[in-house]
Amino acid sequence: MIRQVYQNETVLNASRRRISYVFDEYDNIVVSISGGKDSTVLAHLALKEAKKRGRKIGLFFLDEEVVYDSTIKQIEYLMNLFPNNTIKLWYQIEFRLTNATSLKEGQLICWEAGKHKIWMRQKNKESIQHKSWDKEKETVRDKNKGFGFYDVLDNFQNNRPNTAFMVGLRAVESMNRWRAVSKNPGYKKCFWSTKLQNGSAAFYPIYDFNFHDIWKYIYDEGLKYSKIYDYMWKKGTPLNEIRVSSLIHEKSFKALVDLPEFEPKTYDRLLKRIDGISIGSIYGKDRAMLKAQKLPKNYRNWREYRNFLLATYPDADKKTIFEKRYAHQLDNDYVARQQCRQLILNDYENNLPIDNKPDPRMEELEKWREIL
Amino acid sequence: MMLESNRGKIPAPCMDVVLIPAAKLRANNYNPNNVPKNNMDLLEQSIIDNGFCFPIVTIYDKEVDEYVIIDGFHRYTILTEYLGISTIPVVVLDHDINKRMAATIQFNRARGVHQVELMGDLVQALISQGMSDEDISKHLGMEMEEVYRLKQITGIAELFKNQIYSKAWEMVES
Repeated sequence: MIRQVYQNETVLNASRRRISYVFDEYDNIVVSISGGKDSTVLAHLALKEAKKRGRKIGLFFLDEEVVYDSTIKQIEYLMNLFPNNTIKLWYQIEFRLTNATSLKEGQLICWEAGKHKIWMRQKNKESIQHKSWDKEKETVRDKNKGFGFYDVLDNFQNNRPNTAFMVGLRAVESMNRWRAVSKNPGYKKCFWSTKLQNGSAAFYPIYDFNFHDIWKYIYDEGLKYSKIYDYMWKKGTPLNEIRVSSLIHEKSFKALVDLPEFEPKTYDRLLKRIDGISIGSIYGKDRAMLKAQKLPKNYRNWREYRNFLLATYPDADKKTIFEKRYAHQLDNDYVARQQCRQLILNDYENNLPIDNKPDPRMEELEKWREIL
Repeated sequence: MMLESNRGKIPAPCMDVVLIPAAKLRANNYNPNNVPKNNMDLLEQSIIDNGFCFPIVTIYDKEVDEYVIIDGFHRYTILTEYLGISTIPVVVLDHDINKRMAATIQFNRARGVHQVELMGDLVQALISQGMSDEDISKHLGMEMEEVYRLKQITGIAELFKNQIYSKAWEMVES
């Protein structure tokens, strides 16, 4: 049996020990950074170990173009913190992102060639601007969707054999993350790792950090962090809900609501860059409009609303994708509400998968019918 | 009166304000705008502090001899219900129903938001000029909690300086 056992040391000491272990085992180390607080802490811990050993490690940032300016400032800060120990792996290449708030422009191709005049900003002089792998061997998870975020990660990793990829995932963030960072040893007996191709593995050295441990470390070390955290806090966001997310993908369009108050210039550039942004900003926190939690009053049930959304969907190709998908699913209100959400959020990629099961409320009703 | 603009002549109804008995004014039945209670209190405070600067915008409904509000319903509520005023400064536009509905939305939507960072700077400036937290709370329409958050400049990490690190845990096979 596997059990979670508390140790007689702090998470900080333990993470230093884990990082030191990875340095012992691997010559090639790459830390993924996002500009967020967790990866800031991990990068700093790893860079200090690199400095102690006189070694160089890669800092990998996959730049989605449509991000907060504060994120970019944070990346620049981290990339230049220990210049003698850092290999800058700042990727600014073309790939596809889903734009959840626009039906017309369902995908954004970030860093799209020929559109440099409306890019959110110019590329960084030291960034990697072309795919660093063999195009013949390039993998794509889903040809219909095209080359996306995870395809960049896949190809980047596959192209780097015998490498330790360090990631700042923490178990307390969610059940999925808890499982990812604490189950099934990926490398030797490390539960906090995942096996990858070609002798590589992913490691999660700060998996047991709690929220306050992250901030305590940032305070103690006097590290900079994204201004967005302070803005959110000043606006009254509860501490444990404060996070820096992507600006336009289907799970985080809420970030657009606050953007005009946080970074008005970023918001203005975004308006020029893509359709649907002001929709996200005005209705991002509205229950009916983008979350599909409240049925619009003109419809008797979610199935009726789903049929309407499907019938009037503006893009014929994507409409077919939805129709095919829904043909295999149950026709009840529980499923239909989720389908409405997919249709409203333009989620033809099925990023918010549908829990296809009988309506739990109907089961309850049946039970009572039997009793009565 | 007309204003000369680079897009032709533009009327300036704000120069033709008239006083109308409050009982003759009526709300429209389509305005989706809702002002939360704390902002109503701020609106009242604003009118007391600055005077009534913006007339209520209306159209005249001949059939019932009433003035229908197309912008300023909440200001009207403050004047009548909060402050007990019985004659109201209004301007009267000559809009049909479509233009009227559009105007309501234009008035509501075409406005700015406050940058969080600059709000913080402003609150700090007021404090350094000797204004108390309570006064800021009252005159800027903020909760005390909001004033406290805006005035602190050290950032979120500072809040955690006295925390102690958690205990590490490992997965162990037994």
